[in-house]
Amino acid sequence: MIGRLNQRTIRCAIIGVVAFSVSTLIVNSSSLRAETSEESIKLLRSLTAGDDSTIAAAKAIKQLSQANDITLIQSLTAMKGATPVGRNWLSGLANSLYRKSGKSQTAELGKFFADQNQDGEARYIVFQWLTSNKETLRNELLANMKGDSSPELRFLAIEEAMKDKLEKKELSSLLESARHPSQVVSIIEKLKELGEAVDQSRQLGFLPNWRLIGPFDHVGGLNFNKVFPVESDWANGALKDEYQGKTETVQWKEEVTNAPDGAVDLAAIYANEKGCIIYATTEFESDKDQDAEVRLGCINGNKIWVNGKLVMSNEVYHTGTQIDQYSEPIRLKAGENQILLKLCQNEQKDAWAQVFQFQLRICDATGKAILTKGR
Amino acid sequence: MKFNNNSFYKTALIAVGLIAATFSQASVAQADWPMFRGPNAGSVAIHAKLPTQFDGKDKENIAWRTELPGRSVGGVIVVGDAAITTSSSGMDQRRLHLFSVNTKDGEIRWQQEFVARGRPFCHPTSANAAPTPASDGKYIFAFYSSNDLACVDLEGNLVWYRSLSTDFPKAGNDVGMSSSPVVVEGVCVVQIECQGDSFAAGLSAEDGTILWKLDRPKQANWSSPTIVKMLNGDQVVVMQSSEDLLAVSPKTGKILWEMKLRCSSIPSSFAAEGRLFVPAGGLTAFDLSSVGASPSKLWDNNKLSSNACSPLVVGKSVYTISRTVLASGDLFSGESKWQTRLPDAKSIWSSPVVAGNNLYVFGDDGRCFVVELGDTEGTVVATNELGEAVLGSPAISGNAMYVRGVSSLWKIAEK
Repeated sequence: MIGRLNQRTIRCAIIGVVAFSVSTLIVNSSSLRAETSEESIKLLRSLTAGDDSTIAAAKAIKQLSQANDITLIQSLTAMKGATPVGRNWLSGLANSLYRKSGKSQTAELGKFFADQNQDGEARYIVFQWLTSNKETLRNELLANMKGDSSPELRFLAIEEAMKDKLEKKELSSLLESARHPSQVVSIIEKLKELGEAVDQSRQLGFLPNWRLIGPFDHVGGLNFNKVFPVESDWANGALKDEYQGKTETVQWKEEVTNAPDGAVDLAAIYANEKGCIIYATTEFESDKDQDAEVRLGCINGNKIWVNGKLVMSNEVYHTGTQIDQYSEPIRLKAGENQILLKLCQNEQKDAWAQVFQFQLRICDATGKAILTKGR
Repeated sequence: MKFNNNSFYKTALIAVGLIAATFSQASVAQADWPMFRGPNAGSVAIHAKLPTQFDGKDKENIAWRTELPGRSVGGVIVVGDAAITTSSSGMDQRRLHLFSVNTKDGEIRWQQEFVARGRPFCHPTSANAAPTPASDGKYIFAFYSSNDLACVDLEGNLVWYRSLSTDFPKAGNDVGMSSSPVVVEGVCVVQIECQGDSFAAGLSAEDGTILWKLDRPKQANWSSPTIVKMLNGDQVVVMQSSEDLLAVSPKTGKILWEMKLRCSSIPSSFAAEGRLFVPAGGLTAFDLSSVGASPSKLWDNNKLSSNACSPLVVGKSVYTISRTVLASGDLFSGESKWQTRLPDAKSIWSSPVVAGNNLYVFGDDGRCFVVELGDTEGTVVATNELGEAVLGSPAISGNAMYVRGVSSLWKIAEK
């Protein structure tokens, strides 16, 4: 009896397991069948943040893996115009496909890499595949990529070129190609060693002329989001000559920075005031309507408005800084563009938390400085 | 649909087999050193036999060295016969790499690559590849300072990817983040604490969905979550910050207990012998059997402090490293036993590991101090030059130690 019961129990359990497995397979396969590889690629290309997006993408990449009808080149080509999140999914797919068949597709990959209209991130991956353990080929390719459309490949090419001993002419040519601030600074230093002076602040496009006002109260770090009259008056185009500051009436100060890194040292200007806010304003004259990026280095809390629109807000203090630390897209209009910065210092007493400064430049999307008219 | 008996039983057996295989594949037991500090975050492989002497230049007891592109200050994990590690390279260290290296010969089996979508910046001594990856034996979870989180299978195929800085744009710290993920009960737990979007989250290991999210103090924190097995068998995730200590259910994120406590923000907690050891006030021990509202404090000792390295327990002693001084204390009473200065050590960031009765700790100049752990003293029995900076914690598997230098991976084993 017990044996019979056990047999029956086992049989029921097995039926249950099989039924569950089969039904799961049916559900999964039907939902996967609903997506063709073409649709899956389309989905990956358009991904944004969020759970739904992640679930859909996980299904799509599984479908692509099972269907096995997308080529390596197709996965790479799909990266062009895809969202940043989508490009990473497609990169993951491409890496898997490369392991399966990539090494036999050198010619196709070479052609893809040579096409500067393809996605820069995809071309960078292909470059690594093509030049893995091939130092000579790598150097040959990089020698012709100092002006590459991909910022990453251009960076690599300039990094490689900098290893050689270069003459003035070559360095000057490299300076025109360089976009990353660290490389621009290095080239300028090398030119200086050869007796060629370059205005680093101008080369990087730092804005040197500012009007400053403050300090305003920020004790306890409470006023990052408080709208002081300077903000509202600036938005209305009606700035006053003076305002009530933290302890007294404060007036605007003209400040011109000559620092090579474009830094405006607010700690020096405002006697190391802590728990305070300084506003800085300037005008940028663009010769045309154009897309651009505002790039800020600032170790203190900060906000930026351009032509009345808030474009940047970082309530972060003393966690590292560098040129282009924060970057946001903006639209410049032909003529005068108004820029306002709100710069907030907290009350940390640590020796490393006394810095209060900012550096700001306007660039195109590749990092090339856009200069205000007349500079 | 009809089954004949044979096909029915065949199908059933295949289904049962598949399910069994899935479960066995998902077993952490397959992963020898599955996450930062190894099994149970203990940092100890008591039965491992490692050479006390090795030399990177002369290749003494170096089984292999594999150079990897980019830079890493994270650690390495071992899953079966694969050593898994990450690196970051290129402009602003935006390129994110994940490598699987054959433990037998150091060959790169596969690699995956992504581009940082969050903030890639960090202190020059750090790297975007600062967190140590984690594995549940089925998947590998690679996490980076830029809050990019990728899940791949053991063959390196992408299962899911998540840019947590796209979900939460103010998450980030330009000094660099380094908290390593843990994976437990099908949930990958990350702790992203900074002045912007500061949170901890549990993500489904299977599909990357965020199962829960907890707001955390808006302060920089580099410590890692720790899996703690309670006396009743439940697993919880303990997290610390400069403001608090708490335990959450990994599946729901429900806070099981919490307390105000000024914990260190770099070294991480761990549990051993029914106690939770927390880098706070030096070192503080809590009784895990007393959990009600929160566990009761057993002792604290400010002479057992840790500035960067996570503490560990061997036998009846607890060990901590403060700058260049290794200290030992009694596990039960917290009383200090001994301390020894690591000779000419400069800066140590890599959490130590123990094999047998020897503690191995790397300085960031690549020198490894081997200390024989005694009850009354610690004896430095060897100082070995690897010849490459090491900031991540090693892994031990079998009788080998895997060390992630900033630009290469090493296997150290008796030749």
